[in-house]
Amino acid sequence: MNEGLFRPIKAGMSVVLPGHRWRSWLLGGIALIACGLIAGYHVMMMQGWEPTTPAGVIVYNALVLFAYLVIYLLLSDRFRRRPPTAIRVFWLPILVGVGFVAIHFAFTSFARLPELSEIAPEPVALGFEYGTGRPLVPATVFNMNVISLAGAAFAFILLLRFRDLVLVKRTKASRRNWYLMLGFMVFASALTFLKSPTGELNFWQRLATVPAVGFMVVNSLRLSWIVFLSLSEKLVSILMSLFLLVILAGVGIMEDSLVASSFGLPTSYTFLKHYSYPLSVFVSLSVIFGILYCTTAVLSLVFHLPTTSDYQQRAGELAAMHSLTNLVGQVFEPDRLYEMIVASPIESGAANAAWLAVPARTSATLAPQVVATRNIDGGRIDQFVEVGSLYEEVAETGKPLLLDQALTDHRVSARPGDGIGSLLAVPLLARSEMLGALFVTKDVSHGFEKDDAEAVGLFAAQAALAIDNARLLEERIEKERLAREMAIAREVQVKLLPQRLPTLPGVSIAASSVAAHEVGGDYFDFSTIDEHRVAFIVADVSGKGTSAAFYMAEMQGIFRSLTRLAPAPRTFLEHANATLSSILERSVFVSVIYGVLDARGETISLARAGHCPAAAISVDGSARLMRTPGMGLGLDRGSVFSTALSEEVVALRPGDVFVLYTDGVIESRGLSGDQYGYDRLLEVLRKNRHEEAHDLHKALTLDLTDFIGSSDYDDDMTLVIMKWHGIDVRSLNQSAVPEEAQMRPA
Amino acid sequence: MSNFSVGFRTSGSVQVLELNGELDAHTASELEAAIQKCLDAKTVCIVVNGKNLQYISSAGLGVFMAFIEELREEEGDIKIAELQPRVFNVFDLLGFPMLFDIVESEADAVARFQTTNGDGA
Repeated sequence: MNEGLFRPIKAGMSVVLPGHRWRSWLLGGIALIACGLIAGYHVMMMQGWEPTTPAGVIVYNALVLFAYLVIYLLLSDRFRRRPPTAIRVFWLPILVGVGFVAIHFAFTSFARLPELSEIAPEPVALGFEYGTGRPLVPATVFNMNVISLAGAAFAFILLLRFRDLVLVKRTKASRRNWYLMLGFMVFASALTFLKSPTGELNFWQRLATVPAVGFMVVNSLRLSWIVFLSLSEKLVSILMSLFLLVILAGVGIMEDSLVASSFGLPTSYTFLKHYSYPLSVFVSLSVIFGILYCTTAVLSLVFHLPTTSDYQQRAGELAAMHSLTNLVGQVFEPDRLYEMIVASPIESGAANAAWLAVPARTSATLAPQVVATRNIDGGRIDQFVEVGSLYEEVAETGKPLLLDQALTDHRVSARPGDGIGSLLAVPLLARSEMLGALFVTKDVSHGFEKDDAEAVGLFAAQAALAIDNARLLEERIEKERLAREMAIAREVQVKLLPQRLPTLPGVSIAASSVAAHEVGGDYFDFSTIDEHRVAFIVADVSGKGTSAAFYMAEMQGIFRSLTRLAPAPRTFLEHANATLSSILERSVFVSVIYGVLDARGETISLARAGHCPAAAISVDGSARLMRTPGMGLGLDRGSVFSTALSEEVVALRPGDVFVLYTDGVIESRGLSGDQYGYDRLLEVLRKNRHEEAHDLHKALTLDLTDFIGSSDYDDDMTLVIMKWHGIDVRSLNQSAVPEEAQMRPA
Repeated sequence: MSNFSVGFRTSGSVQVLELNGELDAHTASELEAAIQKCLDAKTVCIVVNGKNLQYISSAGLGVFMAFIEELREEEGDIKIAELQPRVFNVFDLLGFPMLFDIVESEADAVARFQTTNGDGA
């Protein structure tokens, strides 16, 4: 037997089909020719021709077997695909069976030679010559051929269809048993080769059918398909099996001429036997198998009826679990997820009603909140059950809580008839954290058996996984969103700093600002008042991060608008303090150093509002901190600020260097934990005082990086260096003005 | 990894807060909580002892600013004592000595409360 024939077609249908069709045509053609030859042989027999040698009879019988092998292959090709449901399997054998019986009945009735029917034995009555079995009239030949073909087709279709049932959940052993059965059937049939149509089976021939029948019994016990049927499907299957059984019994009766005639039925396997003895044995054996299988199927179906609902529930649980597992990877909106989680125990039949409680994110107490319900009114749950206390108990133990007689529990105030007979609460645990609790109820007490509880437990585990996944994703999205927002904030803040430094005859300027985080509270800026005066500012908003960044932007607005109206340091700072005081939080203040460099007057005037003092280095190497008195902006909102504030005016000498910075520079820590400090700052500046501003800036930054031991700063750091050359540096034909002010992340 | 702590002590009717370690943006909330606790207990006369305070950032200074008005409305105050020179310098640069009593010794700070209270009585 070609095993490929029985392999179900999966992929590549379109590729296989053309070859498949071509093969069918070929087999069909061969079968047609063979059947024609067989019929021709019968016609010749009828006209008195006798095969002269036994070889002629052998050739005839071999031709019959060949023809029916081809027909079997043809049918096997046709029924290669398994029907989608078990019930569909029964249809065709029933249909063909009915057809066979009908053909049989009709043809034998018409073919009977009435004048002989009363006295002659069966074969003669059907038109076969007594003794030789030669067909006597054309009707006999016709009937013999049609009925044999119909009988064999019925047997083949029956076997091919039942194969699909027997081989549900196939194993190696079950497939082997099936083919052994077929093999023994063929073997038993083959033993009757060349047997006279009127002869009876001898002892050996009967004995040979025993193993075939034995394997029929084994195969009849392969009934796995029944388990998966619903109740109605089972009932339909019982009816169909019974009907098929009746047909098979009818066919079986027709086989035996004695029984048939006593029932008044047309007999006749006689036709089949005259056609081919082995074929008739094979058909009989097939019918026996059909009867056996239908009988065991009917019995099994009947016995399985009561357990159907349990199997259904188990199947439902599997399906619900499957869909819930899919959810884990697909659904990330909490509300939809919650709905599906409460739906699964109901859909699987494990519970009558369900609801899900999760800790409320908004409330500080984390009191559980019912977020989804199924088959129960969410508004009434609180009247029935104290969800909070049950939730607490589950949270404490981390284990499912089963109330077999829910109505007797003090936390359940539902009355009989409210549908809460037993209650099961299962924690949703993910990474040892309780994400919620799944509550399921049944309307009867003791409603949850061990397997129900296990199923609900599995749902809860899946649900926890799904919720956890969704939450992780949400957190990640939120994190990414924040990072994007911060990046935008950073870009905006960078734009608040001067994009190019001012140019003023006789002065070179270098400046930089580094934020420790995405955004910072440091600010520096310049504003050209007129062609020989430039105002400068370095400010540091207290605190860090976003709020500091907002106040930094505020400071920028104040500087850009106020410096043109009130450029003098003292007035500027007084106005700035008044404006900022109304804006700043009480705990926030801004330290500022502000000044004006006058290139024509060759002076620098400068005031300090709580900021780190500016460092002033002369060409002769003297270095000092310009610690003029003054409080931070926003600290005092009254007169103390003005009283404390004073400004200093310094006459510029060529080579003078002024360095403004924020506390990030002074407080930078080295590997040993020391602060950078004022002394080191002044020393580095003094050592490099002959450099032009840009190189001095570079030298100082290098020294800072050296000191810190890395380029990661943990505070915002701003550095502004101005050097007075006394003459227009541009006339020296060198770039005295570093073009870019930079702000970069730590 | 907080390396900041607040110790509570009383000296007569005055609440003494001993600051240890580094007061910065991350640890400021601890001092905030400590002062809020004093306020809740209606103890409005507070001396902050900075003997063991190694570092203070602008966020740390902000905590004093956040409470001072409320304390003063309740006729209390925060007085600061025994700051290390480097920490005092930070207070001084910002002009805190003009807003707060910053003194050499804790006893002195406590005494100032008694004087003002005595004056008030």
